[in-house]
Amino acid sequence: MALNNGLKINAILLAVVLAMANVAGAVEPPLLGDVPDGSRATPLHLIPMLAEPLPGKEPDQIYPKNDPALPFSTKATCGACHSYDIVTTGWHFNAVDSNVPAGRIGQPWIFADPLTATVIPLSYRDWPGTFRPQQIGLTPMGFLGHFGRQMPGGGIGEMLDKTDNPDEVLRVGITGQLEIDCLACHNTSPGQNMGSAAGYAIQVIKGNYRWAATASSEIAYVSGTTKNLPESYDFREPFVSSDSKAKPPIVEYDKSAFGHNDWVQFDISVHMLKQRCYFCHSNVDIHDGRTEKWSADEDIHLYAGLTCVDCHRNGFKHNITRGYPGESKDSNNVLAAHSSCEGCHLNNKDSNTPAAGRFAAPVPAHPGIPPIHFEKLSCTACHSGPWPKAELVRTKTAQAHALGIAGASKETDVLPHLVYPVFAKAQDGKIAPHKLFWPAYWATMDGNNITPLNIDAVKAAAGKVITKAAYSKTGDWPNLKEEDIANVLSAMASDVEAGAKPVYIAAGKLYSLDEAGKLISVEDKIAAPYMWPIAHDVRPAAQSLGVRSCGDCHSTNSPFFFGLVPVDSPLKQVTAAGVEMVKFQDLPRFYTKAFAWSFIFRPWLKVITLACCAVIAGVLLLYALKALYFVAKIFVGRES
Amino acid sequence: MFRETAITGFIATIVVILLHFAVSKPKFDNVFGKDRGLRLLDPLRFLVFLMTLIFVEQKWNFAGALRKLILLVALFCLIVLAVTGFVPSVIYDEAIGSWWLFIHAIMAGIFAVCMAALAVLWADRNRFDKNYLPWLNTILRRQPKSTVTPERYELEIKICFWGIFVLMVPVILSAIVSMFKIFGTHGQEVLLQIHRYCTFFLTILAIIYLYFAALNEMEKTAGRS
Repeated sequence: MALNNGLKINAILLAVVLAMANVAGAVEPPLLGDVPDGSRATPLHLIPMLAEPLPGKEPDQIYPKNDPALPFSTKATCGACHSYDIVTTGWHFNAVDSNVPAGRIGQPWIFADPLTATVIPLSYRDWPGTFRPQQIGLTPMGFLGHFGRQMPGGGIGEMLDKTDNPDEVLRVGITGQLEIDCLACHNTSPGQNMGSAAGYAIQVIKGNYRWAATASSEIAYVSGTTKNLPESYDFREPFVSSDSKAKPPIVEYDKSAFGHNDWVQFDISVHMLKQRCYFCHSNVDIHDGRTEKWSADEDIHLYAGLTCVDCHRNGFKHNITRGYPGESKDSNNVLAAHSSCEGCHLNNKDSNTPAAGRFAAPVPAHPGIPPIHFEKLSCTACHSGPWPKAELVRTKTAQAHALGIAGASKETDVLPHLVYPVFAKAQDGKIAPHKLFWPAYWATMDGNNITPLNIDAVKAAAGKVITKAAYSKTGDWPNLKEEDIANVLSAMASDVEAGAKPVYIAAGKLYSLDEAGKLISVEDKIAAPYMWPIAHDVRPAAQSLGVRSCGDCHSTNSPFFFGLVPVDSPLKQVTAAGVEMVKFQDLPRFYTKAFAWSFIFRPWLKVITLACCAVIAGVLLLYALKALYFVAKIFVGRES
Repeated sequence: MFRETAITGFIATIVVILLHFAVSKPKFDNVFGKDRGLRLLDPLRFLVFLMTLIFVEQKWNFAGALRKLILLVALFCLIVLAVTGFVPSVIYDEAIGSWWLFIHAIMAGIFAVCMAALAVLWADRNRFDKNYLPWLNTILRRQPKSTVTPERYELEIKICFWGIFVLMVPVILSAIVSMFKIFGTHGQEVLLQIHRYCTFFLTILAIIYLYFAALNEMEKTAGRS
């Protein structure tokens, strides 16, 4: 019987082993370009361009003689040699994957709509203070319509049919999915077209998702739009329609780009140009109304000869390092632990080998800086962002303000209003410079739960109250009064569920109507400004905080502690003077002021204590000499 | 490391003092009277006796009173400095900061001034005498002319006195030099360790100094009675 049981167990084990072997066998073998052979030379990418295949079919090669000319599919073309599914797990594409740790809080997608006085942070990542796009009624396609312009595709771009909206599910057949545009980052050709009138961003805005990557390349020009196309439209077939508004996307390839076998050479490199990163990661500071980039310096690392990807690295999994301290807890990138400032500039105390000086990074001496500063401050606190002044700098970012895209507003007042550097306590407990804006949005409040309202419902209610006369031509806030807020809230009252009430959040306050219908406001944590730590632009060491003296921060009027963060809202009449930064640093104001005040006497302290030290040392020396004299007398026998 | 050293050092000092106190058997009867009840309260009486030492004696002239006042201010500063310096690092195991640092920095300046004054005013009184080490005189075959018998704990007190002042120099320098742009991060850390350990030993010496000074005063009080 025991033998019988043993056989059964062996049989089960064998079955498990065979099953595991079967599963292992099911894993796709690496493709040609998945595993590099180690050569540091850049591989030539002379390849056939492949079109999006029909379901279950192999992709077809694109020839210059095709009519209509088909857009190439990166998933098919690049995916022929690089496992596309692995690339999709990278940081730039995995926001929608709830299993991926959100990591340090970052810049959200900011939905800014002056028509409804709304500025709300959105993210698919679990960053505190953000909301999911679907909470304000943005479908994947709606989200791409607002923000896909500066997304490299993939992620939500390939989940366009994952929506409850049947019209949009049908439209995906026309627009296609927004595949990862490998060229957006890897193309080193100066012809890479991201933001011009026919470039990637415009194609995404038009809903030409299938054509976006093609349009971005230097070998094609795309015109037309999917906006008015019928459901019967098939991008593979010539389009005939009597509707003059229906002008489908048309691809015109540069015929000279097709070479042997009608293959095409792409200038692909893993050493991405900074211009590629800049398209989505640019900032422009607004000084005296000027926004010209010639008036501002770039990050000091770029002048030192580095590129973005020297520090922000990834392997084939595309899990790029973000470069913040402690990232290794959130990332499986093996370089995450060494990609922060300390990774190159300081030696890792836990390492057996010297690590400082990578990329010829200078090892800082930090003379005269007490080590306590390194426990309380991030490196960026002293080294990054603009030098803190009494007034914060208004800034625009590519992701928030569509910088670099044809037709984007160049107004300095356009929403959202971002300011920096705000020195606030970050998630790791250290004070770091942040960018900040004050969210403003309409929501329902049920108990302590705040849920943003669907933006279409808000438009319907607000449209009756916020008239065109209140709009700003510059894209700034509409000119609202408290009565307007009260009227919009009244209009929304019937739309919210029983037990809940409509509220408006702005300027750090929560506005609602009391039982008498009168507008009331209270300060609430839910209305706190949204902040995210910045790392760039890094200033030269000679411009770091503290380089002149302790007084750069420890003075009674130091912007670092006492700079005013302006409270921004459409309610001009109730906008407060501002919030001192100490409040965001969790520091007691009185102590901080007193400590700063004590630095006035710091030179006196130095002089007095050094003088005291000299006196004590003098007394010691005097009596030591006397003792020596006495001992000497004994030894020479002259003791009296 | 410092935390463990400090805790061990302070406990060891207190234990040694208690042992010494038990072994030396101070003459309580001569100070507090033989017919006192509740002898269990003698340690408490000793503490009260210690408190009485802070008062300036009526017979002293201005210079003497000034010396005593400076000593008392220095003592007060030392207590505050020890509390603000050691509580964060030894009890809470964190770097000194916030109000601790603020008070520490203010008292440090006053303490330095007091100690400089004490060094000038008291150095001569704390010169070592030839009679402290009779065995050394024997070895050197010397016959000291002075016949003054030293007080019982005079040598220990003077050793502590000079030890304190020797330590004062690195204590002050390690704090003040770190405020200049001379030493980098590693140097700053070394300076911090020098400051910590020197203040630790200085505090230990100060405790021992006070203990022996109190014992000496008891002896004198007992002698007078």
